[in-house]
Amino acid sequence: MNSLRTGFLLAVSILILMAITLPGTLLAQGVDAQTLLHPPADSWPGYHGDYSGRRHSSLTQITPQNVKNMGLAWAFQTDQTAPIKSSPLLVDGILYFTVPDNIWAVDARSGHQIWHYTYPRGQGEHIGHRGVAMYKGYLFFLSPDAHLLSLNGKDGTVRWKVQVADVTKGYWTSMAPLIVGNRVLVGVSGDFDNLSGYIRSIDPETGATQWQWNSTPPAGTPDQTTGGMTWMTGTYDPDLNLVYWGTGNPTPVLKGSTRPGDDLYTCAIVALNPDTGKLVWAFQVSPHDTHDWDAVETPVLVDGDFHGEPKKMLMQTSRNGYFFVLDRTNGKNLLTAPFGPVNWMLGVDKQGRPIPNPAKEPAPDGRLIAPDEGGLTNYRSPSFDTRNGLFIVDAHPSYSIYFAKPADGVYGWAGADYGVWGKGVIEAIDYQTGKIHWRHEIGPESGAGVLTTDSGLTFTGDGHGNFLALDSSDGKTLWHAGSGSQIHSSPITYELDGRQYLVTSSGGVLFAWALPQAE
Amino acid sequence: MNSLRLALHRSVLLAAPLLVSVAVSAAQTSTSGAQTRNGAGQSGTIVRKSYPPALVESGGSLFRQDCSFCHGRDAGGGESGPDLTRSKLVTEDVDGDKIGPVVRNGRPDKGMPRFDRSEQQIASLMAFIHTQQNNALSRKGGRKGVDVADLQTGNAQAGKQYFDGAGGCTTCHSPTGDLAGIASRYRGLELEEQMLYPKHAKSRVTVTLASGQTITGTLAYLDEFTVGLIDPTDSYRSWRTSDVQHKVDAPVNAHVELFSKYTDDDIHNLMAYLQTLR
Repeated sequence: MNSLRTGFLLAVSILILMAITLPGTLLAQGVDAQTLLHPPADSWPGYHGDYSGRRHSSLTQITPQNVKNMGLAWAFQTDQTAPIKSSPLLVDGILYFTVPDNIWAVDARSGHQIWHYTYPRGQGEHIGHRGVAMYKGYLFFLSPDAHLLSLNGKDGTVRWKVQVADVTKGYWTSMAPLIVGNRVLVGVSGDFDNLSGYIRSIDPETGATQWQWNSTPPAGTPDQTTGGMTWMTGTYDPDLNLVYWGTGNPTPVLKGSTRPGDDLYTCAIVALNPDTGKLVWAFQVSPHDTHDWDAVETPVLVDGDFHGEPKKMLMQTSRNGYFFVLDRTNGKNLLTAPFGPVNWMLGVDKQGRPIPNPAKEPAPDGRLIAPDEGGLTNYRSPSFDTRNGLFIVDAHPSYSIYFAKPADGVYGWAGADYGVWGKGVIEAIDYQTGKIHWRHEIGPESGAGVLTTDSGLTFTGDGHGNFLALDSSDGKTLWHAGSGSQIHSSPITYELDGRQYLVTSSGGVLFAWALPQAE
Repeated sequence: MNSLRLALHRSVLLAAPLLVSVAVSAAQTSTSGAQTRNGAGQSGTIVRKSYPPALVESGGSLFRQDCSFCHGRDAGGGESGPDLTRSKLVTEDVDGDKIGPVVRNGRPDKGMPRFDRSEQQIASLMAFIHTQQNNALSRKGGRKGVDVADLQTGNAQAGKQYFDGAGGCTTCHSPTGDLAGIASRYRGLELEEQMLYPKHAKSRVTVTLASGQTITGTLAYLDEFTVGLIDPTDSYRSWRTSDVQHKVDAPVNAHVELFSKYTDDDIHNLMAYLQTLR
């Protein structure tokens, strides 16, 4: 046996060994670091698609000219009453999406079910679920009773399960984890009790905690706030190695008397080092909030010109009614501008933070407040249209009345509020000025997020349950389809077999749309 | 009446002497003076029904999973749902006859999803909600909510001036016409909500067909693509908005115009004035 032949055999046996020991590496790839950093066109590997949170796709098969021909490719019925609020993942031709206690794996070509996992119904809020994350061939899923499960993507069997928060104290979980390197970042929910929010980093192989960052001091610390829940998926800048996350409202929710001052780090955008969990900077969107305006809306990462200078920016349309542009290297404010009616502040301070008006805190005889508690926008995703430089958001101009009196106490909600009026508007914001470039009225409030594409399309939905395709340059309607239920999710898009798909959901049904197939 | 309900009623009658209490708070949830509720006595005395603790407990567990985010963990109101302990529907519910259909069908127009729940689950939810209402009504103060007494900080004279002047209310309303007796029909928070924005106000719409024919009716549906109305024969008719012209007459929008103009004092003064219209 000559040495060449020996070498060849050795190479073959190594390949065979690899195929046996690493079955995921040759066929189904799962999700690796490169996929997350540069998602291929035939994937949607994380909650926001890529790490930027822009929800802007480079796909151009569906255009403003041909979108009128777009039709249903398939629909998938969950047969559940819980509406789909998740963004599906697409990995290796399979869509993974959720409602509380449920995960489905569905063939992205045909819409047929591959498997369905059901978590045993337990305690905790079942208000909604945003979806799963994937690392290698493994899915990560948070349960209403605040456990993180790792499942095998192939068949939905559970690898391990760890508790991330104590449901008996009032925590629950609903968010889609964020994978950064070999870390699974998870956040928690819990507004009805005076509890601290946190972000926890968990080892994807073992479930062990790597670090935890607390947004507020422990409950019971004198004159300090609790709250700052972390219930939406953050974004990540690999060059700066910073993770950006929005934090929720302080508790007690509608009463600020026991938590004087700004209540850090509630209602804030925070930048953390993902290797250590250490805070690098924070920008507080609502100092001393008393209106339940979580600042968890997507921190969208955009590189580009700001008033003539190249900037690494972070943009957020926040629940409190303001659009913020920050320098994401250091958290310094570049722009603060309302994107609808707001009446709760005295002005904007030197750091670019709105100054809350004490006279607009909830009161025994009521205060008329804009926006309402659901906010000028909420968890539904916005999109940054890199083609037109527009930040496009599903907005909710609204008014409500807020009450709080001593008898309401200082625990949990500690007051009451009632929506008076509201409507839905898709708004395209010029990020350099905060001015509204176009508006598209959508009737009542909609829960639909926004997706834009390089061909110049904006996909979203109205308050009646119509899916919409708009011209990104002027907001004019180019296509629509009545879905038969309320829309609570954000659209995604991908290309498979050379065909671009748009995936939307309403009620308990997932819809895939595409142009007619050439025969 | 099925035997289960009969049995429940018997247990109520037996328990009644222990549970009788005066309907102090029921008036806060009612739009009229007349009180009707399960087991209500003749002169506003309400018999509060008790439920087996195990049933209430399992209902509470279900409630915390599916309902508490919007309605509050104690059913006293939460992120977007009303305070059920002051709900007229809950007050009027008899063994789930009102609560059950709302749970099963949802309230799509108000954003409440439907929940596919068994008879037993509905029974436990109903038991929990009624128990929470009973607890809330028997407690004085110490809980969140808005009492009629909270909304008495305004000045009726100043409110009348606003009504007749800056508010522009007399364009559509008259204290001796449509608003005569308004304070007898609505009280407290409900009156204030009606005053700020009457959610159920109807709008009119006139549709002009290509032929030039016009049809005017009550607006029943409108999105970008379809306009629907109830015509003078009480029939629903609809058109594609691209095929017709339509013009909506929605006087209720005058309320929306006021939101950015009101001070909180204006609102409290208007409330004081409207409460004089009995």
